[in-house]
Amino acid sequence: MSGLLPDRRTVLTAAVATSVAVAFADSSIVVLALPDLYGAFDTTIVGVSWVITSYNLVVAVAAAAAALARIDAYRAAQVGLVLFCAASAGCAAAWSLAGLIAFRCVQGLGAALLLASSLALLGGLRGSRARGAALWTTVAVLGAALGPVLGGVLTQLFDWRAIFVVQAPVAAVALLATRGAHALADEPRRRRRRGALAADAALGLVFAALVGALFLAVLLVITVWGLQPITGALVVSALPAATLAVRPLGRDLSPPVAVGGGALLLAAGLAALALLPRVSNALVALALAFCGAGIGLAVPVLTRSSLDAESGLVRSGAITVAARHAGLVLALALVAPLLTGSLDDAGRRALLGGTKEILDANIPIRKKVPIALALRDALERAPRGEVPDLRQPFDDAGARSSSHVREARDDLVTTLESALTRGFRPAFGLAALFALLSIVPAIRLRRAA
Amino acid sequence: MRRLAVLLAAAVALVVVELSVGAIGFGKPKLANPCTDKPAFSGGGLDGEVQRFVLTGLNGAACRLHTTREELVLSFVPAAGTKRVRWDRATIDAALRAGFHRAIEDTEQRGPAGYVIGHLLDVIVGAPLDFLLDVTR
Repeated sequence: MSGLLPDRRTVLTAAVATSVAVAFADSSIVVLALPDLYGAFDTTIVGVSWVITSYNLVVAVAAAAAALARIDAYRAAQVGLVLFCAASAGCAAAWSLAGLIAFRCVQGLGAALLLASSLALLGGLRGSRARGAALWTTVAVLGAALGPVLGGVLTQLFDWRAIFVVQAPVAAVALLATRGAHALADEPRRRRRRGALAADAALGLVFAALVGALFLAVLLVITVWGLQPITGALVVSALPAATLAVRPLGRDLSPPVAVGGGALLLAAGLAALALLPRVSNALVALALAFCGAGIGLAVPVLTRSSLDAESGLVRSGAITVAARHAGLVLALALVAPLLTGSLDDAGRRALLGGTKEILDANIPIRKKVPIALALRDALERAPRGEVPDLRQPFDDAGARSSSHVREARDDLVTTLESALTRGFRPAFGLAALFALLSIVPAIRLRRAA
Repeated sequence: MRRLAVLLAAAVALVVVELSVGAIGFGKPKLANPCTDKPAFSGGGLDGEVQRFVLTGLNGAACRLHTTREELVLSFVPAAGTKRVRWDRATIDAALRAGFHRAIEDTEQRGPAGYVIGHLLDVIVGAPLDFLLDVTR
């Protein structure tokens, strides 16, 4: 390492840090592309959700295994980057949903190896464990928070495959960079310090809560409100923006206060999402900003508390990664059936409300009957789980020229969107509960401190 | 610490504001009671009279079947995926006829013009309704 010039070292550090950020971002990067994947592979909501779940599940399991095994950080990083690079190319070229999920599993395995070993690698590049851990923590937070935004922009500008196309070269460059680097020597394994386990538990619960902000909020604005991916990405970008904005504040707070305050902000932001009083991008962005502020305060402190370099750099990094992704997987497993059930009820309420709007609409019966029949046909044609386009029958009936038809169309769409938005309430509520629960292990963190 | 307190207060304020501007009832369709409420349709002219007449008839039928007019309508749309028709044909016929008679009574009570329109609709709609119910039986 000492032979590297500072500039060259900076470039190598940036290359490795970027690949780590991408591996963290991959937990949520395809969320905004889910509707595209749903259409491309003609699958079910549960089927398409495995594109996200499979990655996080494999990262959690493989990172836990890496924590138990004794692995060489340098070799693990290289193998991880090779797997990640190849699997990203495979995801980009996937011909079926099963193929995509299989490549996502391989990508998750590569990511787990990379994330677990990158702590020692970044420590070597930055010259000390503390500086390496600080950079690792920063890119971990940014990667997770920026994932949906990056995915949304790439999906709308190009295609869902672009999300994976850009990842392969990032991993390839990092792979080349690691050839000139050396990982810090791993410490002999010791018992982890007091409080590290509590930090793992709190970190897992915070990331379980993040499912609400990173996944549910994105699904709401894209699939129910019909925003384009870039517009959705703009709304969601309030989250990483707030995460960055509160970082100076986090440095002024004691760790327990930062974690407790962050968890409360995250819970309040999720509660605000659960209690939306209308369809409003501004309210979602505001609620996500509070979630982002909570993440910016709690996650860096928890990650620092979870990372215990004295007990082994790779082991420590692997445990932290496993805790984060286990939280995501746990929440995905609980939230998916809850959301499916509540959306079924919401769909029924939406139909009743929509029928009321049509019956009471102040439009002539010669227009009302064809509109009602066309709406029935649209319902029949819509694939299960997809919100049909109900604007078209009104537009065909002259919504552009008739204010009454236009008003009926807008009332119907608002009624449907409102009912379906309400259907997200239990899932957001569960995510808020996870955020509040994270305070419990954080209290143990305080005692340990 | 003070900045954190301000942030937390702002987050709680957002939730309180949401609750105060209707978060509790948001997304819940306000379905009318078919036994007591009049149709909310506000259109005028002959078209308006016909629609109000039909909607009152639907209300009457739904009231008789102890359901809402929306559920009654959707129960005939298989794609809606709501409860399928859960009444036998004779019950539906009786409910529709009862609804129709309630619609005539309601229309006739709206002054002399309503009396005339109610009688007219009885003649115009009544016979085809009987015919349709008999034919589809």
